[in-house]
Formats: sequence, structure tokens, C-alpha cells
Amino acid sequence: MAKSAVAEYTLFLGCMIPLRYPQIEAAARKALPKVGVKVVDVEGFSCCPEPWSVKGAGLDDWLAIAMRNLAVGEKSGRDMLVLCNGCYATLTEAAHIASNGSDARAAADKKLARLKLSYAGKSRARHVAAVLSEAGAGKVAASVSRPLAGLKVAVHHGCHLLRPAEIMGFDDPFEPSRLEELVEALGAEVVRYQGYTDCCGKATHDSTAALTMASDKVEAMRAAGADCLVTVCPACFEQFDLGQVEIKRKLGKDLRLPTFHYLQLLALAQGEDASSLGLKRHHIDVAPALAKIKA
Amino acid sequence: MPKVSPDFKDSLSKVEDAGALAYCYQCSACVGECPASHHCEGFNPREIVLASLLGVADYLTDADSVIWQCTTCYKCYERCPQGTHPIEVVTALKNLAFARGNAPADVTAVRDTVKENGVIIVASDALAKRRQELGLAAAPAAPASEIKKILE
Repeated sequence: MAKSAVAEYTLFLGCMIPLRYPQIEAAARKALPKVGVKVVDVEGFSCCPEPWSVKGAGLDDWLAIAMRNLAVGEKSGRDMLVLCNGCYATLTEAAHIASNGSDARAAADKKLARLKLSYAGKSRARHVAAVLSEAGAGKVAASVSRPLAGLKVAVHHGCHLLRPAEIMGFDDPFEPSRLEELVEALGAEVVRYQGYTDCCGKATHDSTAALTMASDKVEAMRAAGADCLVTVCPACFEQFDLGQVEIKRKLGKDLRLPTFHYLQLLALAQGEDASSLGLKRHHIDVAPALAKIKA
Repeated sequence: MPKVSPDFKDSLSKVEDAGALAYCYQCSACVGECPASHHCEGFNPREIVLASLLGVADYLTDADSVIWQCTTCYKCYERCPQGTHPIEVVTALKNLAFARGNAPADVTAVRDTVKENGVIIVASDALAKRRQELGLAAAPAAPASEIKKILE
């Protein structure tokens, strides 16, 4: 296929972004066309489904729902673009299992047949971080009109973007750097911190441990001099943004590190106004981070 | 004395990659960077794999099992020199616990929400207003009836 200047994807939003954090969706729709990524909406997608509770309850059901989404995406004739590590993990692992022809796939196929659907393995999920990285940091930088100079950013990749590396295929599972390059392309400075590939803690069932994991990370980011943190996952985003409110209440630590999805920083660097991006909805005030950006 | 089920590990093999647990030689590479091992009382992926291998893992599928403390970070998957994938063993145990009616209430609740609505978050008027403020179209309806057919 000839490489065109504009890449077209079917947008798979999942649940958390359109139904809880629509400001991330708004940033995506504003920012992506400016880097040559066209997204097309199609009807019929459900929850990916989320890879902790639904998968924990039953792998067969989780796989069948994921393969149904992949089948709907396949009908559109394009790969699916996801903005969430959970959606990425589920759809990518499900496509991997489906390609292996396992027992679990056979059970899922039967369920899909009842819906008159089948997945041939032609479509796949692409994470927006991978799509932008492949387009090139230079192309991202070329879309920037208001560089984020002076802003020190701690990058939180999120586990399911990185691991298992042999299936997710994004970067080194323990020493990744591609997402950092995309942040530098915005004119910001990346700060590496201790434990930068550690988990945000969102998915553990131990609520105190979950907050401690997030708190440890934010403290390490602060210690490295970060003005804000950036994720590419709405679940990690929630764990850090809303999580810091809980950390203050339950652990007594007032950390207040502004939290962004990468697409929000991209839209800001492209000149979008903070007020049009819904940033005032964040639980941790983003103003101190925005004030660091040199005009 | 716990009940020993020599075939227990075979019941796990239906989950992708969980069947490779027989290669575990108990080196603890999975424990070193496991966040749940560091932060949660009683969670140890090496012990979970050992109990499964020996067929004494029934207790891990009881209500309030430690298996739900796993963060699903996949560091054990990457670090295991034997390709054992402890996280897949944990997922297999979770599936057994759910089948026994022993999953935590909130895990069951998330599954039920997906079953009824097709998504994990139910749309609200407040959300519709926020989407409008951001210039976004209304969120599309989820295919709830199809998802219900899969989960019934």
C-alpha cells in the first residue's frame, strides 16, 4: 500500500475517555488531524472489555467481546486507533490469541457466530503513541506552534503499553524512550525519575497499596524536578489525577502534580487554548504547570 | 492438611500461557519487581505458582483471595527466565474463583455493568452537558443487547 501523507484510522474510544474524560477525546479530535492522522467514527463498539475485572471473571467472555470489537473494526477496512492502554492491551492480546487458534478462540468464535460476526485477523488496534512515534517526532514537532519550553515533564508509560513487549511491540519493557521523544518534540524537557516504568497501581484490589504505588511515583517525579506528569491512558490518568486527591485524604500527602494525557499537551503545543480543552475539569489544578511554559 | 489435587494445573491451562507453569524452578525473578509483593500483605507470585503446581491452590480461589491484589503490570511475565508467566496463572485462578462465586463484589459489579450496558460507565445528563461544552457529539449508543448475548 502506498504511503499517503494522511493515515486513516477507525477511532476506538472505549469507555473511560468518551464517558468520563471527554476532554481527552476533544484534545484528540483537535490535535490528530494536524499531524496527518485522520480518525473515522463507526458505530457498534462496546467496552474493549477492560482487562482486569471482565478478563478476571472469564477469559472466554473477555475474548469474545474483544473479538467482536475487532470484527466491527475489520468491517470498516481500517486499523483501529486507541487512546487508552487498557483498550490497547485487550484488543492487541485478543488479536494475538485469535491468531493462535487456541481453545479460547474456538469458544469465542461460537459466541460471535450467534451474532453473525466473525474476525478474520485483518484489523488490529494501534496505540496513538505508536502511530505518532512511527510518523516521527519530526512530524509531531512540525505541528507545534507554541512550544512547551520551560516545562519539565515526567513520563508515565503505563504497564499495558509496554508489557508483554513481544505482544505489545511498542518499546523496551524496562527502558523505554519513544514516548519521551514525543514529549521532547513538543519543546518540553523530559525528566527521568526512579521507577519510571513502574505501575500506577490502579488495578490492584488493595486500595491502600494502590494509593501508595501512585504516591511513590509522584514523589519520585517531584524529586526529579517535574512540573507535571503525562500518561497515554485514561486509567493511569485517573489514578494520578483523582488519585492525588485520595492520597491527600488517606495518606496525608499533598503532592499536587498536574496530570495530562499526552494528547492534551500535544493540543496545547499546537496552540489550542487551555479553556477549549476542558483542563479546568482536572482534579489537580494544571495552572502551575501551564505557568512554567515560557511565552 | 490441605486437599491435594494433582490435576489442578491442568485446569489452568485453558487460559493462554498459564499452562507453562510446570517450567517454574522457583527462582523468584517474578517477585523482585512485583509491586503487589512489595505493597500487599501475602501476595507472592512464586508461591502462587508453586501452590498451583503442587495442587494445593484451592485456597487461592476462596473469597478474599490475595490473587485480586495483582496489578497486572506484567513485570513477572517479562522477568521469568522460564516463560512461566505467573500473571496468566493469576488470571486463570481469578477465572476459577469467579466460577465458584468467590470474586470480589466490585469485580462482579463491573462485569454486570458491561453485561447490561455494553460499557463500564453509564452515560449521564452531566456527561452529555460536558461533551456539548467541549463541542463533541453525543456519545454513541453501545450495542448492549449483543454484549448481553455474549455474557449470558
